Amino acid sequence: MSATTSVSAARLVLPARLAAGAALLAPFALALAVGGVVLAATGRDALGTYRLLLVQSFGGQIAVANTLVATTPILLAGLATAIAFRAGVFTIGVEGSLYLGAFAAAWVGFTFTDLPGMMLAPLAALMAAVTGALWSAPPAALRAWLGVDEVVSTLMLNYVAILLTSYLVNEHFLAPGVANSMSPLVADQARLQPLLPRTQLTVAFFVALAATALVALVFRATPAGYDLRIAGLSPSFAAATGIGLATVVVGAMLASGLLGGLAGGLQVLGVNYRFIDRFSPGYGFTGIAVALLGRNTPLGVLLAALFFGALANGGAMIQLFSDIPIDLINLLQGTVMILAVVQFGRLRRAAEGVRA
Amino acid sequence: MLDLAAAILSAAAPATTAILLAAMGCLVNRQGGIVNIGLEGLMLGGAFAAVAASAAAASWQAGVAAAGAVGALLGLGFSWTITRLGANQIIAGLGLNLVVLGFLGYLLPVRFGVQGTYLPEGVVGLPRIALPLLGNMPLLGPILSPQTPLTYFSWLTIPIIAFILYRTAWGIALRAAGEDEEAARAAGVSALRWRDASTVVAGLLSGLAGAHLALGVVTLFNKNMTAGRGFIALAAVYFGAARPWPTAAAAFLFGVFEAASFRYGSAGLAPQLVQMLPYLVVLISLTLVALRRRWDVRRRAARAADLASIGGAR
Repeated sequence: MSATTSVSAARLVLPARLAAGAALLAPFALALAVGGVVLAATGRDALGTYRLLLVQSFGGQIAVANTLVATTPILLAGLATAIAFRAGVFTIGVEGSLYLGAFAAAWVGFTFTDLPGMMLAPLAALMAAVTGALWSAPPAALRAWLGVDEVVSTLMLNYVAILLTSYLVNEHFLAPGVANSMSPLVADQARLQPLLPRTQLTVAFFVALAATALVALVFRATPAGYDLRIAGLSPSFAAATGIGLATVVVGAMLASGLLGGLAGGLQVLGVNYRFIDRFSPGYGFTGIAVALLGRNTPLGVLLAALFFGALANGGAMIQLFSDIPIDLINLLQGTVMILAVVQFGRLRRAAEGVRA
Repeated sequence: MLDLAAAILSAAAPATTAILLAAMGCLVNRQGGIVNIGLEGLMLGGAFAAVAASAAAASWQAGVAAAGAVGALLGLGFSWTITRLGANQIIAGLGLNLVVLGFLGYLLPVRFGVQGTYLPEGVVGLPRIALPLLGNMPLLGPILSPQTPLTYFSWLTIPIIAFILYRTAWGIALRAAGEDEEAARAAGVSALRWRDASTVVAGLLSGLAGAHLALGVVTLFNKNMTAGRGFIALAAVYFGAARPWPTAAAAFLFGVFEAASFRYGSAGLAPQLVQMLPYLVVLISLTLVALRRRWDVRRRAARAADLASIGGAR
């Protein structure tokens, strides 16, 4: 499949390829322009803010490390979403799996404190992934065998997950002596060690990178990846050629939940060291934006995740160093999401139709 | 026990209002063919407009009007990205929520120098108006009255929308636009325009829902004040299969849950478990509906097989 794609891509004339590239970048550029207008209209220096954002996210070793830390959960959530989207499954439930996975990792980390680190950290991460996958099993089954719309079921289950973990941490696993809404810390040996002093860059980022490579491999070189793609492109063709649609849907959603759970678990083991009520600023939803902008390809997801990771890290830093609130990042992200699904071609065709 | 029930029910009426208004708007939108995930953003925009305009004009009417207008305008822009620019409605809805939340979260500190909560001087809240006859009824009286004008209005939207949807040409055109774009076009109905109109209604009603939160329940704006009510409204619409009366019933049920989660919070039951109920109720109801549909299909197939075998015997 990929061979034919690259051949046809090579045949494209240069202007067409430039146009295709511009179309990919347009949502980012337009969103930054919208943010710039908002900044300027409220009397802030737009260019200066963006320059500061750039410096804070990429200027120097520590800044880059912090950006990679911020990228990690977004990358995993983006991959999780891309797998499902590719199969034509419109899950928005990664956020829910992420919460359950985070709680599972924290629970393992503060419960089995006698285990050595070599076992405890992997066990916690594994539990996070498995719990995330299990959380996505009910909507997967409902969609595959009863035809229940996965958009609604996963949306509802996100809130159930947030409330359930909130209940668990507040009613049963509250850390002693801590004001509110936090579980006990995971055992020291369960925490991922920083690879760079004064940062939280840990093996977690490289786990996410490995997951990206693995997903790329599955997409390109395995029968499962082929089935996934065909099921997403044309369910009726897939069914006619003997691909079990129910199996593909369930498999894609379980894999999606698994990566979502892992994202939450690594956030606990590498960054927060405990479960915190409502800790996610919407990693799962950022994952949707990332999957869309990356066109559900692993490389695209990686690049888009880096963009949002840089925004999240830079945004948090400029909030410290200037009076620009981090909410600006939400505004940019929301704008990118809308623009990413707007079909610019349709607009152009409509304009041509008017002229004709 | 009866006292607690009465207390919960009388708290349920104001708690229902925002959910009910947003749900009725979402229902109209759904009948017009759009699943509106952006209710949170529309409500939040309305809530802010309500507080800002109420303070500026020292009148709650101005606040309500501004909330409706801002909601309707946001709805129109949102609809436009879907109907004219071909955006996926789910993603556009999630994006709208983020844009509104991000914009207001940015604006509050930068423009008004406050974090999260905006309480300008001179905000006028919604009055509570006592109904002359209903208010004196023995059991229902304290539940029905006194309420804010928007609460009474939210009750009126149920029969009004039911009437328009099923008894007028507008309703037929809207439902045609929602069900089948091609058929609507063949019948001379501009599907996209009706779809836009339905989103404007959703925006207007969600804006009013925001006004009720910001001027009826409290008199201030907080960027987290919608607290998932937009999604609860969406849940009510799915529970009610986008029909007015069942949707309203679900909205009221969820309002009771919300009121109960505050009451029970002090009575020992974890509020999170009560807050979970709307989402679980919808999941269960969707599952039951799907099971029933499947059972119906099987039964029909079995009956067809029976008839075929009778035909064969003859």
